[in-house]
Amino acid sequence: MDHYTDYPTFSEALVGFSHEARKYGLQSGIQCTKDSIASAMEGLWLDKDQFGYALSALFCHSQEEQQLFDKIYNRYWRQKGTRINDKRDYKNKSKLLKQSVNSAVMVGVGSTDSSEDTVESKTTTGSNSKETLKRTDFSKLNMIQEKQLEELSEKMISEMSLRIKRRRKKAKQGQIDIGQSIRKNLQNGGVMIDLQKLKQKKDKYRLLILLDVSGSMDKYSFYLLKFLWTLKHHFKQIEAFTFSTSIMRITDFLNDKNIGACLAQVSQNAKHWSSGTKIGECLQDFNDNYAKRYLNGNTLTIVLSDGLDTGKPEVLDEAIQKLKLRSKKLIWLNPLKGMQGYEPIQMGMKTALPSLHHFGSAHNFESLLQLENILLDA
Amino acid sequence: MFDNPKELIPVIDKLGYVIEEELATVLFLLLKLEKPLLLEGNPGVGKTQIAYILSDLMGYDLVRLQCYEGLDVNNAIYEWNYQKQLLAIKIHERGLKSEQETEDLIFGEEYLLKRPLLEAIDSDKRKVLLIDEIDRSDEEFEAFLLELLSDFQISIPELGTIQAKHKPIVILTSNRTRELSDALKRRCLYHWVNYPSIEKELKIIKKHIPDIESKLAEQIAAYVQQMRNLKLDKAPGIAETIDWAKGIAILQGQDNPIYNSLSCLLKSEHDMKLVTTELFS
Repeated sequence: MDHYTDYPTFSEALVGFSHEARKYGLQSGIQCTKDSIASAMEGLWLDKDQFGYALSALFCHSQEEQQLFDKIYNRYWRQKGTRINDKRDYKNKSKLLKQSVNSAVMVGVGSTDSSEDTVESKTTTGSNSKETLKRTDFSKLNMIQEKQLEELSEKMISEMSLRIKRRRKKAKQGQIDIGQSIRKNLQNGGVMIDLQKLKQKKDKYRLLILLDVSGSMDKYSFYLLKFLWTLKHHFKQIEAFTFSTSIMRITDFLNDKNIGACLAQVSQNAKHWSSGTKIGECLQDFNDNYAKRYLNGNTLTIVLSDGLDTGKPEVLDEAIQKLKLRSKKLIWLNPLKGMQGYEPIQMGMKTALPSLHHFGSAHNFESLLQLENILLDA
Repeated sequence: MFDNPKELIPVIDKLGYVIEEELATVLFLLLKLEKPLLLEGNPGVGKTQIAYILSDLMGYDLVRLQCYEGLDVNNAIYEWNYQKQLLAIKIHERGLKSEQETEDLIFGEEYLLKRPLLEAIDSDKRKVLLIDEIDRSDEEFEAFLLELLSDFQISIPELGTIQAKHKPIVILTSNRTRELSDALKRRCLYHWVNYPSIEKELKIIKKHIPDIESKLAEQIAAYVQQMRNLKLDKAPGIAETIDWAKGIAILQGQDNPIYNSLSCLLKSEHDMKLVTTELFS
């Protein structure tokens, strides 16, 4: 049943509407149904517009839900026989995706062959879909999911940034300055009424990210670059470089407010994209030419790479040790680590491993969110 | 008091707020169902103002809790007056009161400092409670609010549960800098406050600056609408539009008052450059 005329009484029709709304992902519980009956009893049902506004206030919890609600409401209470267009946002999404398709092709993901129908049928609603999306390997994302992930990552990184700021702020509070407290409370006869807290200096930390964009990383580098772009908009103290056979600073490109423009700029400048991998030489180049400027004792260095190196292991060993010495922490996030049965036995990874403070995975968004703990520990 | 949402529109209009039927219906529902109302929207669209208008409309005092990072129970609900408690202990040190009696005394209501939430529910008069920018507070604080929003009561371990004498009218606002929990949203009515349409913005300008020339007001409203379509760091809200209109009125008679008063509207160098290039070159 999907129309109010299918029910004998108005109350039952309202219950039916509640079920209908739930089918489309709105969280309409019993309380919600009770409230909608109460609002109808206030006389709002006499005016269909007003009744729609009232139900919208009761059934929706976001702007997006309100837009969806209008369609459900219209179909259920007004017209019979029309269908809600489930692909309502598809045109916009396609348009947005087209804007970045050149960059996507550049890094080898523009050829995703999933048809629209397959995409829609795989889409689920609610928090479950978010969880699934977070856990989906970057190499298995289709274009729609990619867009959804972009939105989700923007939201989650923003929340992560807020949490980190708050916890760092909170961590600085609470330490009592005994001396100051005693001095301050002499006027109270020594009774500790006003406790004085220790004032701490702000410790600014930097984040340095080195992203591998060699051919073997093609499936991941595009998403990781997008992740860096989002991260850069919430953590100002980030420096980013891409490397494969040569190294390039991309921090300025990440400052672009438009992700499409950022990717376009990187694609115009990155001559080494999808080429071979010489991690050792690139890190050496970084140590020689950039390290003095971008590394200090408070820098957290993160290498995003699969570790499939074709250069000499001794060069990598020397470069990575130098990098470790100049960083507060050296972290390696490897997309291959998310694969079942993966072991870091390739020469590059084997060489780098003893010098690392942390070795984690970077194959999906969830693994990248682990960065929060690393940032908090630093 | 009101039998239909439409009755609210002229009354609220008289109080200086231009309201549409949709928001009037939501406010009508808020008054009838006595459920908290969550208002979400971009900064500067007039969310907070709605609470002030309701306070004027109903004749209830407004209690405002401004949320911020690290806001806790002590600042939002209650805190014990430690200084007073210490002094009381000192006074009763050599007295005849037993330890239990002293404890009962210093954990009595006399020693309780009421913060906005407790003040709103423990008052003899009905209040409008504005919990402003809830998205700035921590998730832990949101959890504290659940009991208040669903049952209009607050639990204080030393005193027990305090039930609202009069259910306050609760308005929560959020700029959506983070998603609020489902548990909190479920307890509230919801309304998304959008930027006003050009017609509504025109009405707002005229309401705040009645002497303004119609053509100038139209120009201002049209410019602001165009600016909101640009990728600005901070899109101008209604308050900025009014400030701009006032600025233009003050600079009237001088060279290019519209351009020269742009600083009332735009709050960053990037925005200024973008608007100058896109709309004034």
